[in-house]
Amino acid sequence: MSALGDIPIHVEPSAEKSVGREFGVGLGAILSELATLLEALRSTGEEGAIDLRSLPLGPNDLDRLRRLLGSGEVDIRIDANGESRIRETAVSGLWWTEHRNAAGEPLAVLIEVARVPNILLTADDDLARGAVRLRTVASAQFSAPGETPHGTT
Amino acid sequence: MARPDTELTIGELLDRNGVSRRSFIKYCTAMASLLALPPLAARAMAAQLRAARRPSVIYLSFQECTGCLESLTRSFAPTVENLIFNVISLDYDDTLMAAAGAQAEQARAQAMEANYGKYLLVVDGAVPTADGGVYHCAAGRSGLDILSECAKGAAAIVAVGTCASFGGLPFADPNPTGARAISSLVPGKPVVNVSGCPPIPEVIAGTLLQYVTTGRVPDLDEHLRPTVFYGNSIHDRCYRRPFYDRGEFAKTFDDEGARNGWCLYELGCKGPTTYNACATLKWNNAVSFPIQSGHPCLGCAEPDFWDRGSFYSPIPTARWGKAGEVSPAQAGTLAGVAALAGAAIGAGSVVLARKRINRNKRTKSHDSEKGNEE
Amino acid sequence: MDLVDFARGPALKVAFVVFFIGVLWRLVNVILLRHGRMLSEPRRSVGAALLGGIKGMGSRSWPHPEFIKRTVTGEALGYSYHIGLFIVILFFAPHVIFFGSLVGMRWSTLPNSIITIFSVITLTLFVAVLSRRVGHPVLRHLSNFDDYFSWFVVALVLITGLMATAHVGGPYQTILGLHILSFDLLLLWYPFGKLMHAFYIFPTRAIDGYLMTRKGAPS
Repeated sequence: MSALGDIPIHVEPSAEKSVGREFGVGLGAILSELATLLEALRSTGEEGAIDLRSLPLGPNDLDRLRRLLGSGEVDIRIDANGESRIRETAVSGLWWTEHRNAAGEPLAVLIEVARVPNILLTADDDLARGAVRLRTVASAQFSAPGETPHGTT
Repeated sequence: MARPDTELTIGELLDRNGVSRRSFIKYCTAMASLLALPPLAARAMAAQLRAARRPSVIYLSFQECTGCLESLTRSFAPTVENLIFNVISLDYDDTLMAAAGAQAEQARAQAMEANYGKYLLVVDGAVPTADGGVYHCAAGRSGLDILSECAKGAAAIVAVGTCASFGGLPFADPNPTGARAISSLVPGKPVVNVSGCPPIPEVIAGTLLQYVTTGRVPDLDEHLRPTVFYGNSIHDRCYRRPFYDRGEFAKTFDDEGARNGWCLYELGCKGPTTYNACATLKWNNAVSFPIQSGHPCLGCAEPDFWDRGSFYSPIPTARWGKAGEVSPAQAGTLAGVAALAGAAIGAGSVVLARKRINRNKRTKSHDSEKGNEE
Repeated sequence: MDLVDFARGPALKVAFVVFFIGVLWRLVNVILLRHGRMLSEPRRSVGAALLGGIKGMGSRSWPHPEFIKRTVTGEALGYSYHIGLFIVILFFAPHVIFFGSLVGMRWSTLPNSIITIFSVITLTLFVAVLSRRVGHPVLRHLSNFDDYFSWFVVALVLITGLMATAHVGGPYQTILGLHILSFDLLLLWYPFGKLMHAFYIFPTRAIDGYLMTRKGAPS
């Protein structure tokens, strides 16, 4: 066997220097796709999104993309069976969206292209249900005796 | 609210369980990502899924190691509890169910009767057919018998894992138990193969989910695998592909190339001939996959992957040896023997030709002498 | 056993054996055949003639100045596609692994982009030489089945190889299997058709050069 000193020692280059450069294959394509989606949103109002988990990205590509897009003014936290974070990027109209499950593990990572992310909008069903609920509470607790309640369950 | 669970739509069930619309949309976004659908398809999918009813699922295990089920239980999206409580009605699975023995078998019989022609049969493991199928018995019956009984009333069959899909390890040479793939044993039934050893958890769950969402068998490739997950080779979606294209290869597991994350083709990577979603969905909730961890792809999602020689011999190697690839010595010996044989034939044919020429000459000169005499 | 395993397994073995038997058979055959006796008085020494033989291998591989105008197209085409073939065969990474696994060593490879460029150029030249053969009245008259089949066998390997790298025509395994099978076919046909020129070309040029020098003619 060779002496300990004979074993070559390899110094890992920093991630930024080697890995980031070598693996940054699809980032340019993602950026131009995002630009196309932004233009479409402006001209036709059509929303878009890029699913970042279905792309063959290297280990550091997500971080690089995140740094490239920067951060904007809005930071939204949704608590729906696990946390979701929707952060505006420095590019208006691009929302960096991460959905996590109840255990905090990531479910989906995408960049949404929209004026307001769709998941924030309240659905009609929920509006109706909310109105019904309020009327029920109002009639049960605050209505004057003799008055007919407006809502029913 | 007295209706049984199976009659409720998934939407009704979710409302009853207090699952909010946003958490459902979130879940569908994850699903759409998993099924490689355009991200906005999540909205349409949410609508479809809310209107669908949970199908009854019967899960059978034959010659298998339970690795496939272990894999499924590690699915992050959908999680296995989400899947079995909200999306499907898992009525029989001898590993996961609380019931055992006669009660378990009774549960299976009941589910099959109540949902005849509509239930989904999920199978992992190959089925031994040699000697009347005695190599797999459960509840006093052979695997072959159980499979054909359960397959009869199934709307579709999902073969989970390489053993169920292609025979896998039990099917490998010399296959002493006569193991066979599920698709070869259930004629006329739609079969979906979800291969892999084990398959990616999200791929198993996603295939089931896709069936529930659309109510039909997905688009399949020539090996009956869903093209959403098995449409691309590992190689085509590999983040190390640029190294392959540039001709930068790791030659050993500890050389400069290996440390720099170069292509593992020369170390036997089967990525180019293996179709699976490892390079995009990855494993352990998208943490990594074998190639990212520095090991070549074994090709576990392809038929006969056990019988294709060493996992570490590259794809383009000659393979006429019994155990796989041919060593240079073997190739050289064969070439030498063939060359000697060729040389002998060549020399022999020359000797024969000369003899013939000499004989012809002799007869000719003999004839001409005769002619002179006359 | 799928197509790839058949092509690189039993089919390759048979083709490999037939190739070596065939090549040696034909080489020994030609060497041992009776050669015409040299009837003229030797003008130069055996040593000079041997040198002439070596020179002959070079001089006969280059267009003769007097005919250069007439032959240059064919020669340029021929040289170009041969160089292209050699580069693609010897420096494409999977090929290096394949041949390397048989001879027990590996050598450096060229990037795929360069290989692709060379194979496309080579295929184009291949089509050009075929159309020239068919279009040229004299060449057409001189051509037989052997010429066309030898062309076809090599072109098939080239086309299936390009298809495999470009992912057209079917699943990668199938095309790869067809590529290796067409190489097996090439090995089988090699010793019995005009592809055998690879083994004959330099010895025959050397012998011609030797004889010419011995007779006092320029080699």
